[in-house]
Amino acid sequence: MLLDFVLPAHDRKLIPEGRLSGQMPWVIAIMLFLTLLVAAGALTLTEAARQGGQDLARQVTVQIIESDPAQRAAQRAAVTRTLRNMDSVAEVRPVPDTQVRALLEPWLGTGVIDADVPVPALVDVRFGSVPTAKTLTRLQSTLRSVAPNIRVDSHSSWMAPFFELMRALIWLAAVVFLLLLVATSAVVILAVRSTLNTHRETIEIMHMMGGTDLQAARLFQRRVALDALLGGVVGFIVAAVVIVSVGERFAAVEPGLLSGAHFPYYGWAILALIPLAVMALAMLMARMTVISALKRIL
Amino acid sequence: MNSLCPVMSFVPFIAPMQSVVEFDNVGLRYGTGVETLTDLSFTLYPGSFYFLTGASGAGKTSLLKLLYLAHRPSRGAIRMFGHDAITLPRSRLPGFRRRIGVVFQDFRLVAHLSTFDNIALPLRIAGIQEKDLRGPVTEMLAWIGLTERADARPATLSGGEQQRIAIARAVIGRPEMLVADEPTGNVDPEMARRLLQLFAALNKLGTTVVVATHDIHLLQEIEGAQMMRLDKGRLSDPTGSLRHPPRPLVLKN
Repeated sequence: MLLDFVLPAHDRKLIPEGRLSGQMPWVIAIMLFLTLLVAAGALTLTEAARQGGQDLARQVTVQIIESDPAQRAAQRAAVTRTLRNMDSVAEVRPVPDTQVRALLEPWLGTGVIDADVPVPALVDVRFGSVPTAKTLTRLQSTLRSVAPNIRVDSHSSWMAPFFELMRALIWLAAVVFLLLLVATSAVVILAVRSTLNTHRETIEIMHMMGGTDLQAARLFQRRVALDALLGGVVGFIVAAVVIVSVGERFAAVEPGLLSGAHFPYYGWAILALIPLAVMALAMLMARMTVISALKRIL
Repeated sequence: MNSLCPVMSFVPFIAPMQSVVEFDNVGLRYGTGVETLTDLSFTLYPGSFYFLTGASGAGKTSLLKLLYLAHRPSRGAIRMFGHDAITLPRSRLPGFRRRIGVVFQDFRLVAHLSTFDNIALPLRIAGIQEKDLRGPVTEMLAWIGLTERADARPATLSGGEQQRIAIARAVIGRPEMLVADEPTGNVDPEMARRLLQLFAALNKLGTTVVVATHDIHLLQEIEGAQMMRLDKGRLSDPTGSLRHPPRPLVLKN
């Protein structure tokens, strides 16, 4: 079908081509601009969810709940030793007491927490690979032999609502992406019908001289393909400018939840394919619309 | 016959006396109205020249539309080039239409194409290469006297010039059957005679010609031509000539 894009010059004259003079290339440019932004957003979220999810899924925090500060410190040292001896653990970091108190200050107030307040000791653990539920259960039972009152918190469990939100946004973006493609197809169909009406006389004359439905369809396919290509290039350039400038602002944001949110390099290849896919879709729509319209006449 | 006639160099292509068109009890009705054409039965032979006459509204244009496969009849049977035209699949119609040249009453030229491109259109649709069509189209332009207007758009041409282009477009592909609806209505008598010479030349090479006309002078121009007369959608055949193979044609000088 894409080979039908190439037509002899004299055939091209049968349906005059506008070259961005009509509305269709601009409408396609706007639709593609929106489609590309949605696709870029979805790709960024997917990348952020993938990277953040992998990091968080490998991390757990061990809470040592012991009211006696001396025993708590001894148990923390024992837990840290035990963890460092485990092959599956990549990194162990006992969280300093000052940092734990600082975490609680927003809730309890400054200067309230002193040595008498039984604040749990924390040890951050990073596994070499994502641990299974069985690994975590085994870890908990091993650590209980050196510190009876411990709790193992998987970071992925308390970040789960955030990642569910991200997944929901990715699905939403995918649905919007598909809706935009449907809307683009509808625009193409309307434009082809309008062009078909404008050039009905030419098509009927060709028909009466033995022109086939495919010959007529090729003329429209080429015209629509050119409009889609020109609109696609304009839409892609504007979308690329927006994506790059928004990406620069993201990079300037403090590291945190958004630290993994950047547009991946492979995303550019995917974005570049979208205008080509829209062009192919437009050609298919044009072909189907013209053939279906011509089938109504003998 | 003028030796400059561009169709004279063409080779005959139809075996003699095999019918080109056979109508058997054909009727045509548009929508739920009364029949426009009723009980038409006749046979057209290769190498025959027919004039189709009748008052306005008698059904001449409707009959021509059946002949150039723009419509299918409401009833009856039509055989065309040896095939049943009623049951012919739609996908095969283009191939049959390429064997028929049509001169429309309202010319139906493509408004944004030049004279050259309008005449070349049937050849291009048939897939003829540019290098092969340039000669015949140029020759045809000379024959209809429009060489100087080869690049002109139809809107800038007179009615007579447009009619000549419409005729040139119909005959350029050497059709097996030529169907013309009032082909000389807008040209002067001399040009009308030249165009009839073109039709007669094609006819001598085997093309079956059907010319719908009001002009009774045309009927006298071609000796041996047969007449089909439509009256309120029915075919009257006073001479009975349509039931017999045609006689050889002689163009009166």
